[in-house]
Amino acid sequence: MKTAAELKHGEKARISDINSDNPSYKRLIEIGFTPGQEIELVNTSLFNDPLAFSIRGTLIAIRRNEADCIILS
Amino acid sequence: MSIDVAKQIPLITLVGPPNSGKTTLFNYLSGKNFKTVNYPGSTVEYYTCKIQEKFNIDANLLDSPGIISLNPNSPDEEVTVNSLYNHPEFGVPDLVIATADASQLSRHLLLTKQLLSAGFKVILVLTMRDLLEKKGLKVNTEKLSKLLRCDVVQVNGRTGAGINDLIISIEKNLEEIENHRKVQPYTISNQLSKENLLNLYSEIENLTRAVIEPIEIPDLEKINKQINILNPVLQESSLQPDLFTLKLDKILLHRKYGLLFFFLIMTTMFTSIFWLADPFMTMVDNFFSYLAQTSSELLGNTWYSHLIGDGLISGTGAVLVFLPQILILFLILGLLEDTGYLARGAMMIDKPLSKIGLNGKSFVPMLSGFACAIPAMLAARTISNKRERLLTIFIIPLMSCSARLPVYVLLVAFLTPSDRPWLGGLLLASIYIFSIVSSIIVASLINKFSKKLIRTEDTSSFILELPAYRIPKLKVVLKNSYLNALHYIKRAGPIILLLSLVIWFLTYMPNHSPQIDATGLNEEEIIQLEKSERLATSYAAELGKFIQPLMTPIGMDWRIGVSLIAAFAAREVFVSSLALIFRVTDDENIQSSLLTAMQTATNQETGEPLFTASTVIGLVVFFVFALQCISTIAVSKKETGGWRIPVLQLIIFTSTAYLLTLVTVNGLKLLGIN
Ligand SMILES: Nc1nc2c(ncn2[C@@H]2O[C@H](COP(=O)(O)OP(=O)(O)OP(=O)(O)O)[C@@H](O)[C@H]2O)c(=O)[nH]1
Ligand SMILES: [Mg+2]
Repeated sequence: MKTAAELKHGEKARISDINSDNPSYKRLIEIGFTPGQEIELVNTSLFNDPLAFSIRGTLIAIRRNEADCIILS
Repeated sequence: MSIDVAKQIPLITLVGPPNSGKTTLFNYLSGKNFKTVNYPGSTVEYYTCKIQEKFNIDANLLDSPGIISLNPNSPDEEVTVNSLYNHPEFGVPDLVIATADASQLSRHLLLTKQLLSAGFKVILVLTMRDLLEKKGLKVNTEKLSKLLRCDVVQVNGRTGAGINDLIISIEKNLEEIENHRKVQPYTISNQLSKENLLNLYSEIENLTRAVIEPIEIPDLEKINKQINILNPVLQESSLQPDLFTLKLDKILLHRKYGLLFFFLIMTTMFTSIFWLADPFMTMVDNFFSYLAQTSSELLGNTWYSHLIGDGLISGTGAVLVFLPQILILFLILGLLEDTGYLARGAMMIDKPLSKIGLNGKSFVPMLSGFACAIPAMLAARTISNKRERLLTIFIIPLMSCSARLPVYVLLVAFLTPSDRPWLGGLLLASIYIFSIVSSIIVASLINKFSKKLIRTEDTSSFILELPAYRIPKLKVVLKNSYLNALHYIKRAGPIILLLSLVIWFLTYMPNHSPQIDATGLNEEEIIQLEKSERLATSYAAELGKFIQPLMTPIGMDWRIGVSLIAAFAAREVFVSSLALIFRVTDDENIQSSLLTAMQTATNQETGEPLFTASTVIGLVVFFVFALQCISTIAVSKKETGGWRIPVLQLIIFTSTAYLLTLVTVNGLKLLGIN
């Protein structure tokens, strides 16, 4: 099972599910990370954390552990 | 429940996702100038205001902090949700204006849908239509209005385009509710399960697919109507972030060099405060010197001439000459805020900050702490984790606020050799860097050693939208800086004036016309001798005896001590107090004559020079740490919900200030720096 945290710089993928174990999962859904959406990893910071994704026409930065609960198909 | 007068005119609440243009619209409708910033989370408190008369609607308008959904996640979001369901003063809003960024419709409609299903009466305002048009797309508002069953209008709050449609819609909606009972909204917390959210989103996706259309080119129009299918390429393009932003981020958010740019931007900002302001400072200084001179010429060598010349004009002038620096600080901060870069800064330093118990979202509050600690503490509301929020509030007083700027510029000017004026900017920047480093050390110490200081513990998270870069609206930024500076004068001005008078009185009385042996002295020397004699026998000198024991170890005398105590009323008073106590001649510029007086002043205890490199650097250290601001303490109490943190801040910071000054002054002396 691949997660958004494992994406490479510039790599695109489609979300298949959001793991509800992470306490932030609801916020991730509310902000637009929903199954079926395509995301792209566009920027990483020096420490590889947080990561900035392009989703629904916006850039959103989230921490690596939060990206880890975004499951890709 | 009582019905109070305020309820009789309808309440319209502006609600919408962060950075969707609520405050911009609020300002347009109310004619006010609240801060609009290209950062999600710029408004953290609600504001109410009546709609401007020219729009002919008698209603209160409420601006609220941005929320992503009706399920709040941080204190600023709670402010909004609470005000929607039960505003302490106004109750439930009669009408909700929901804003949504047209270029991000599929994300922003979530809240609108929630508001509608909670039973609020909603007008949907689509903002940023210009951004969507740049992508060659537009929203079919009639269709969206039918599908949502509420009014939909497009408004550009920056230019006012489309405002008439909104006014008509507001009038219509207010008329409709006039005949009905006020609706009581439902809480929809039961509708916020994962399943529900996903369903809501797929509804919204269908909606957006139906209403986003390519901008019609006459020929295409017919074809589109016939086939009624959207061009798939255009659909894709609406899902692309702003191209310019993506390109710029390749540089500014570069994995390796991003942080380097970050530090460069910050340093340039702080050094330029000193350099850019210099010519303007001379102008203000000339003005006050002219005033002081004229008044002494008109009034002669009398006590009221001294009161007006020294107490009023020089005392306040000594501080106000630094107004250009403060104005430029506000200007630079404002420009930076409006570009959209701040969210990037927050992202890049999230990791380092999280190591010391802070959050990337602490960055913006810390940065606004350079202007003033009070809005900065409020800005910390965007941090959802309580522990991180409290720690951020704890260290904000260490950020060098604009009230310290006059003190620092004076001390830096003292330290800067006249043949190397460029050094001044760098010295000022290093004071800023020193204050940042100190706050980081304090935060990590507190984070490490004391679970007791800040007791709460909950999961930390960092989810932040990176808004598209925008060219700052210079007009808006200039106006805001001007208003901020005006606010600064209004806040600090009266205190400085009052304190200047008090200090003048304490240093002038009771021996106002001292007997001196004037034989063989010229006029200048007589004035000088009179002044020092008067001071030595003044009330201030009496009081000074009590603080002298504290000042001797740090190489200073009671005259600086009195100024330091006065600075607890407002930090800038330190400068006016020094000007009152030390300055003698008034035929020169206020600043340069104060500097000359400082250079010649001797310690009354030891007879050595009073202001040396070591004592001046010691003073800088004192001002970096000391918590000398009553308003900060009050806001800290309010934001942390108790006296514990503000009292700890006061004790810890002020005692650290004294101890570190002690170490600095004596350490530098040992090293031979004098
Ligand atoms: N291009 C464009 N920019 C706009 C428009 N309306 C607002 N802005 C800009 O969008 C940014 C955010 O505006 P604000 O009014 O502060 O947004 P807000 O909804 O109050 O944001 P929060 O208080 O953070 O929730 C500012 O930089 C505005 O200048 C618009 O119609 N078009
Ligand atoms: Mg706002």
